[in-house]
Amino acid sequence: MEPGDSTKQARAAAQLRKGVLEYCVLALMRDRPRYGVELLHALGESGALATGQGTVYPLLSRLRRDDLVATTWQESASGPPRRYYALTDSGRAALDEFTRVWPGFRDAVDAFLTASPPSPGDHS
Amino acid sequence: MKTSADPVRDYLAAVGREASALPADRRQELLADLAEHIEVARAERPGAAIGGILAELGDPRAIVATALAEAGPGARVRSGGDAPVPRGRVHPLVPLLMLTLSLLLTMVFPDHPGPLVGVLFRITGAVLLCTSVHWTAVRKTTGVLLTAVVPSAVIGVWNLSGTGSLSDSGAFAANLVTLALLACASAWLWRVRRTRLG
Repeated sequence: MEPGDSTKQARAAAQLRKGVLEYCVLALMRDRPRYGVELLHALGESGALATGQGTVYPLLSRLRRDDLVATTWQESASGPPRRYYALTDSGRAALDEFTRVWPGFRDAVDAFLTASPPSPGDHS
Repeated sequence: MKTSADPVRDYLAAVGREASALPADRRQELLADLAEHIEVARAERPGAAIGGILAELGDPRAIVATALAEAGPGARVRSGGDAPVPRGRVHPLVPLLMLTLSLLLTMVFPDHPGPLVGVLFRITGAVLLCTSVHWTAVRKTTGVLLTAVVPSAVIGVWNLSGTGSLSDSGAFAANLVTLALLACASAWLWRVRRTRLG
């Protein structure tokens, strides 16, 4: 393996993550509000979406500014109060839209990646 | 890695330093989010080492880079090292004033120190005009020709041909004409300057 290959692979993963991470974060809030550490724990468990946890906070901040999520403080039985993130109506709409287009997107990419190129002259 | 009595404070201070290009409210928000995260993570995992919690949060630079990307280009308050800000940003009035004043100074103080300061102003003004980001190459060339080369040539020819051949009022009139040329060229340059950069 040439030096730099792992960097390129990391970049490809980072590009992919950048595109889908916010929808995964929104999806985590689909059923109930979640607080930050909880969200990051779930993302970390996933493996592929694991990232420096701190980078998710700027994303959450933008989702809040874009009115896709709303936050509320809730007291906790243990430790400090938690800031809970919940979907707003527009956040839910954005998540629904992504949920609708994702299967077609995923299948199209899969088709490109798995298709064996037809050999020249093969007309069967 | 230096050891410290308070690694959390050091970590947040590092984020704050890196985040100096963020608007103040975004920076405060980011620091508050991270501080909350650390507090909650510590409460939930009392046995965990603080170093591990900070390591999971990640490199302050990566966090701030994400914050800058999320904030969008308009949110940047001042240029970072990688910002596409043009070099040598000098206010466009500076070269124009220097070029125009160069002759005015020579006229007002004809013996000393007018001519010397005038020449310095003209050279500096021409250099600033050429290196400025406010004009295209063609306009710079035209501007330097009209405001520096032509006046210098006229004055040079004038001095070589002997100043005695014209009366004082004639010399004054010639200076006025050159000054008018300078003022017009400067006014033109001011009007065609680029007001939006980047």
